[in-house]
Amino acid sequence: MPKGAEIVLRCLRAQGVDLVCGYPGGAIMPLYDALEGSGITHILTRHEQGAVFAAEGYARSTGKVGVVIATSGPGATNLVTGIADAKMDSVPLVCITGQVRSSLIGSDAFQETDVFGMTMPITKWSHLVRTIDEIPEVIAQGFYWARSGRPGPVMIDIPVDLLKASAEFTGPVEFHPHPEGADVAVDSIFCQSLIALLGQAKKPVALIGAGAKLSGAVAELRCLLDELNIPTFATVHGLGAVPPEKPYYLGMVGMHGTRAANMALQETDLLLVFGARLDDRVTGEPTRFAPHARIVHFEVDPAQLDRVRSCDLPVIADLAESIPICRQKLAATSLPDWSSWRQVACGPDRAELDTKGLAQPTIRFLDELFRRLPQTTIVLADVGQHQMWAAQRYRSSSPRGFITSGGLGAMGFALPAAIGVQLANPTAMVVSISGDGGFQMNIQELATIHRLSLPIKIVVVDNKYLGMVRQWQQLFYDRNYAETDMSDNPNFVAIAYAYGINGRRLRAEALIGDQITPEANDTLDRFLESGKPELLTFECPPEANVYPMVPSGAALSEMLFEE
Amino acid sequence: MHAFHIRYRNTQGTLMRLLNAVSRRGIDMPYVRAEAAEHTHKLTLLLDVNPKQIGQLGRDWRAVVDVIEVRAGAPLPEALAYEASWTGTPHPPAAAVGPATEAAASA
Repeated sequence: MPKGAEIVLRCLRAQGVDLVCGYPGGAIMPLYDALEGSGITHILTRHEQGAVFAAEGYARSTGKVGVVIATSGPGATNLVTGIADAKMDSVPLVCITGQVRSSLIGSDAFQETDVFGMTMPITKWSHLVRTIDEIPEVIAQGFYWARSGRPGPVMIDIPVDLLKASAEFTGPVEFHPHPEGADVAVDSIFCQSLIALLGQAKKPVALIGAGAKLSGAVAELRCLLDELNIPTFATVHGLGAVPPEKPYYLGMVGMHGTRAANMALQETDLLLVFGARLDDRVTGEPTRFAPHARIVHFEVDPAQLDRVRSCDLPVIADLAESIPICRQKLAATSLPDWSSWRQVACGPDRAELDTKGLAQPTIRFLDELFRRLPQTTIVLADVGQHQMWAAQRYRSSSPRGFITSGGLGAMGFALPAAIGVQLANPTAMVVSISGDGGFQMNIQELATIHRLSLPIKIVVVDNKYLGMVRQWQQLFYDRNYAETDMSDNPNFVAIAYAYGINGRRLRAEALIGDQITPEANDTLDRFLESGKPELLTFECPPEANVYPMVPSGAALSEMLFEE
Repeated sequence: MHAFHIRYRNTQGTLMRLLNAVSRRGIDMPYVRAEAAEHTHKLTLLLDVNPKQIGQLGRDWRAVVDVIEVRAGAPLPEALAYEASWTGTPHPPAAAVGPATEAAASA
């Protein structure tokens, strides 16, 4: 009879899992003992947070479920940030933790934590396994909920005695939800209201969120947008869903969005939202968001509707279902002529202003970097100023070509997530961009990258500050740079060498104005040409700011620009 | 005060997820009753909430796996009586061991 650990692994294989990320420890040891010969590759990171972010990277870049394994107690608590990140950004993730043995649960045993209770608000579903017999059903159910509807994280906590015990096993099972919980087929009746709203609209716009890629509806959505031909913009997770060269595309919207996108959003009288939550970084001050607009919200998760503004027409369905219906109905409809509105919203008067001031070298550096990347490159950004600069400047046509921690904004995300991305996409170029603060939050994962010889291109934008916090301190706290100074940063190139990774350095002086020195050109080329992991530190001006910027509490039209 | 009636399957954590949707918003719960109801379970809550919170809670509850039905309705007299006795009642931390017990233990 197989042991519980073997049953877990066979059930994972039945779900299509061939790679898991994790970190061993006492309560999960039986699972590690059974790994060899299971058909599942285990990626040993150097911290559980690295493991959960790597699993997220795998999931975000493929749409498949990421799997992470950790032990009880601190192993489980170290997963929490990654689980919350997956919940906010709709990432399908199954977390399996060992727990102290059943008879000790509740006794505050060594390395016991109530990870089930701790993660309840940040998981879609969770289960503490109580008998070995329920393992197949629990794993099938966990994968079902991780994938279904709005994807998200699930937690399965298994006491160590159940992993060690043996039982009859007739094979993996399938999970079928109760009928009440099943998705209901979308009704085309919403199209009558949509057509009426479009018929009345003088200034319609479309906002694209993560739902476009999550639903796999990008191709259909692109066709619909071509047919509508209205000003269109994206959230940070919607970047890549619309080819940036489309004449109606205005780029990213929100706190650091483009001038044209934010202005169009404030002026519109009909906002079509495709798979976006409309969080506060997108809306600005909610009470002043799109003040003249009626809102049509295409969303798979009803819990996301009306969070900041009531919508006039909710379309609760997977975009893969609702968009084809829209296209079919709209094909037989004569839409108004919106060309004059399009000319205003997408016209040259609203084009981006040339970058001025201290940010200029960093913008130039990113432009030079991105210009060299193949179309299939996957760029990851950590959290902070470099994230917003990268989101503004990287123009990917791939819906999964730009990956970042958007909702939670978890510093330390990019480097370990890049591990999962590179493992899932071995032939793609993977570029991880971090600030000097975030890079040091999971710097230990350089060891994982080196061990696996993953050819990740690691960029550290080093301004020797927690830059985004410093920017807010400059603008809103009278330049009181409290505890954001990092002028004593270590030598990142030397650290890379210590981990066996080649490191290079570029300084801002090499990229001033339109000029780039031959040495800098050569450094960038060699950095990208290498088939090995490489680190490139870009030392930029400490007090550069990200613009445009919508201050907290302001409307999207009240953007700040570099003076 | 608004009354909410939620029917759910009593699987692990479902009741706690329902209550957590309330507590994460800092809303007091003067009346909570969870009970078996035929083949499922029923949660009755009495909450002082505004229209926006009603909408948000309803949608959050419906998104919980194993929730079957969410209804809002008039509060039951029984619930209102509980609520009246609860409002304004101070909640000092209570000692697990009182003076009388301590004296008995040391005797």
